Amino acid sequence: MLDQLLAALTRYGSPALFAVVAIAAVGVPLPVTLLLIITGSLVAQEAMNIWAAIAIAAAGSVAGDQLGFAIGRWGGKALVARFSALLGNAEHINKLEARAKRWGGAGVFLSRWLVTPLGPWINLASGVAGYSWLRFTLWDFLGESLGAALYIWLGRLFSDRVQQVGAILGDSGWAIIGILAAAFFGWKLLARRGPVHA
Amino acid sequence: MVRPRYGTLIVIIGFCLALTAALFFGSRAGRTARRMHWRNEAIRPWMSVPFVAHQHHTRAELLFRAIHVEPNPRDRRPIRDIARDEKVPVSALIHDLEKAIQDSNRAGPEGAAPPGKAP
Repeated sequence: MLDQLLAALTRYGSPALFAVVAIAAVGVPLPVTLLLIITGSLVAQEAMNIWAAIAIAAAGSVAGDQLGFAIGRWGGKALVARFSALLGNAEHINKLEARAKRWGGAGVFLSRWLVTPLGPWINLASGVAGYSWLRFTLWDFLGESLGAALYIWLGRLFSDRVQQVGAILGDSGWAIIGILAAAFFGWKLLARRGPVHA
Repeated sequence: MVRPRYGTLIVIIGFCLALTAALFFGSRAGRTARRMHWRNEAIRPWMSVPFVAHQHHTRAELLFRAIHVEPNPRDRRPIRDIARDEKVPVSALIHDLEKAIQDSNRAGPEGAAPPGKAP
């Protein structure tokens, strides 16, 4: 699967890039970071133009993100209503929605380029939480443009080491998610400190 | 005896798992970064011949000749497609490319791509 995607990128360039990043943004687990780095290498080989590559990657990602947001907005609400008993009472869900609205912008922006595996989930969550479409699109566009520019530039810089740079960035992304999760659980533990049942 | 609540236990397990994942992926990224300068990239079936030439600082025409394909810098077919077209196994093609790269490295600067230009 990975080989086929990369072969399509090497052979067809921009159309393959657009299709893959759009599909990945909806939630299909595809190695977009590696793809962007290889695109950067193709730029260094003069097989692609850097500005066109950044624009196509950003446009494809934003298109996929919009679909994810729409699924959350129109499909997710019904799902939440159906399984609300599992998620908690209405007050709890309202609290979660309010939190998502409050931190939505930062979450959308950071998940476009720093913690990319969370991106599709943030799209769905933003839609479900009723986050403003305009704000979502703005942060989405800024984050995706930064992400595309950053990874394509890195690929151009390390154009003869794409697989290794891809592996480093992939692992770093998961390490950051691990640190964030550890910080979250640590904070939860501190909040739980208090009377312990004997 | 002090017994933590069930929820607290889940949070502790979550904390330990998250920390383990962060350490595992962080150390793996660090290890790859340290090796990056001296380790060559492996040739993969998705790569085109000009792509392989760029990765190994070799002339693309030299690699095309090594696999008996008419040199064309615009030929962006992946190695596996060339193998299919030429009716040879992908592994044989990769082996020929690796041998050509080794020979080119031994030959010195004549086989190397000009600096700053795509091969």
